[in-house]
Amino acid sequence: MKIYDMISICFRNLWRRKGRTMLTVIGVVIGSCAVIVMISLGLGMSQAMDNMLASWGDLTSVTIYGGSRGGMFDEGSSSSKTTEKPRLDDSALEIFKAMEDVEDIVPKMELSSEMVVTTSGRNDRYLLSYTTIVGIDFTQFDKLGYEAEQGILPDENNKKDSIVFGLEVPYSFTDTKKHGEAAYARKTELPDGTVTPPFIDPIADDFKIAIVNTKKTNEDGSHPVGGKGYEYTLHGTSVLKQDTMWETPYSMFIDIELAKDIMEAYNKLNNVKNAKAPEYTQVKLLCKDINSVDAVQKAVTDLGYNATSMAQVRQQMQGELGVIQLVLGGLAAISLLVAAISITNTMIMSIYERTKEIGIMKVLGCYIGNIRLMFLMEAGMIGLLGGIIGTVISYGISIIMNSFAGSAFSEALGIYTEGDAGQVSIIPLWLVLLALVFSTIIGLISGYYPANRAVKISALEAIRNE
Amino acid sequence: MAFITVKNLRKVYKLGKEKVYALKQIDLEIKRGEICCILGTSGSGKSTLLNMLAGLEKPTRGDIFINGVNIAQLSESKLARFRQENTGFIFQSYNLIGQFNALENVGMPLMFKGYPKAKRDKLAAKMLKLVGLGKRLRHRPNQMSGGQQQRVGIARAFVAKPKVVFADEPTGNLDTKTTDEVMRLMVRMCRKYNITLIIVTHDLEIAAYADRIVHIIDGEITSIEENTSIYSPEEDEENTSISEVKST
Repeated sequence: MKIYDMISICFRNLWRRKGRTMLTVIGVVIGSCAVIVMISLGLGMSQAMDNMLASWGDLTSVTIYGGSRGGMFDEGSSSSKTTEKPRLDDSALEIFKAMEDVEDIVPKMELSSEMVVTTSGRNDRYLLSYTTIVGIDFTQFDKLGYEAEQGILPDENNKKDSIVFGLEVPYSFTDTKKHGEAAYARKTELPDGTVTPPFIDPIADDFKIAIVNTKKTNEDGSHPVGGKGYEYTLHGTSVLKQDTMWETPYSMFIDIELAKDIMEAYNKLNNVKNAKAPEYTQVKLLCKDINSVDAVQKAVTDLGYNATSMAQVRQQMQGELGVIQLVLGGLAAISLLVAAISITNTMIMSIYERTKEIGIMKVLGCYIGNIRLMFLMEAGMIGLLGGIIGTVISYGISIIMNSFAGSAFSEALGIYTEGDAGQVSIIPLWLVLLALVFSTIIGLISGYYPANRAVKISALEAIRNE
Repeated sequence: MAFITVKNLRKVYKLGKEKVYALKQIDLEIKRGEICCILGTSGSGKSTLLNMLAGLEKPTRGDIFINGVNIAQLSESKLARFRQENTGFIFQSYNLIGQFNALENVGMPLMFKGYPKAKRDKLAAKMLKLVGLGKRLRHRPNQMSGGQQQRVGIARAFVAKPKVVFADEPTGNLDTKTTDEVMRLMVRMCRKYNITLIIVTHDLEIAAYADRIVHIIDGEITSIEENTSIYSPEEDEENTSISEVKST
């Protein structure tokens, strides 16, 4: 029997029972719609998550935290209590540089706010308080992802005597000549849209960083500054834009070489014995690609450092997302299962009705294989039809969700993205193909049992039926 | 060797603990091209014998050789092939497929053999013309009379040029006049293509068309009588189809 004839008979039989066929197809449509939409939501969530992570930081970097400071996603360092932690100093940087998959290194060195006093204006009128001073390599702004809101970022030529402010830092300068409320600069928006200026001009003024001498104590309990030789005059160059990780707004940045100098000068002034080489507070290793991140992180951890990476965070989040997707998919699968059962039911009904026909075909010499194939085709066709219609409808649902419920949905699902809400539901081509193949297979599986029943119908019984 | 040889055939049905002997002991030989009538009353086992000859039922014991092949030993799939290549079947209740038109119904055995549509439509149309339905190719069974339907059935049985055609009470649902026409048609087809025809009936008037009449009572052959068919196609004009029958 020719395949063409079987297909033709299969379509005729489906057409003969239009109503029933359509009802069964609708079942599959609902099932496949549910599956496609659920998976597309999962894909949308996954993409939103990647966008979010990318906005937080580079997915290809490993961050090492030095000293006692733990990272944001530190997994806890209970073991480090017993074993001495390796120092995160220049010699450590050499080791990291030598690693195969590490392309670049971005170190940071934080100075404790008790170590120095930062002032500006005549007679040190404006005093900076409660601000972390961070040493970074002023040639690495692009790698850090820092951009200027005002002014021009320093470069190789002026890095030694430049200073860069986080967005909120200029307002942290207080006026020592005033008292009470008037001593503090307030950042408030004026009716014309501008904001009140701080006391100092962060991109024009000069600033003085003076090292504190802890050996002496003032009457009020504070320590005096070291004086000549322990002071650095720097020129304000720029203010950084708000970054997504909120690393910069409350920090002031100087070049990392200067930070080391200050650290050494502090040790000298305060007679710190056995001073070791200055330690970095944080070192970011930029890896070749996202796949090498794991290896680098492991190598660094094996050396005894605390290291985290976005890749690790991503893995965790993907794990959680996977569970959500599984639950959604499971719910959708139930409706597809119901559809599958209804296909089986329809096919069994259809075989009952056609018992005689099947018998006649057998008596006339139709191969049982052909009979089985005809019924499998019918069931598969119901599945495929349902899949096709389901895909079309899913596209519609997807478009509606993306255009109307974009941000609301992503908020409900707990995913926040910067600016553009992104697509809630994504239906890639592979999902369409998968849905079609899957629904056809569902049809075939559902048709398998009825088809075998058809094959087992005795030709004699069938034609005896009057 | 005869075209069909039945040896030592027995069929027993089990009804609970009781054994019912549908066929006790059948030995029979049928020649190629012969029109053989199996005559018996209801319950005599004649239909059971036909079903076994056609390979629709397995005998409890014994052998059935058709053209040298023991069909009692064939598997289901080999039987299907055997039926496809060697047999045609005419039913009492016509058993046409309701959704197919006459052309498609007649073409069915050819379709199972894998003939392309154009070829089988051509052969089926030729066959339908031969049975006098040349103008009803596109009619569906429910648009035709009983006699017309049975002629479609006959066309279907003969279209693939089988070696043997089985007919189970082929005129059971037809009136006398139509019965006569249908019987003549069957005889003419058999003679034309040298096809063996085995008819099962309880009707003596039908038996009169056969070359040989096998009487069967209670699952046993009681007598076999040679007969001269009351109809010989040579009496009619050679190879002409009977005229279009107005619907009865």
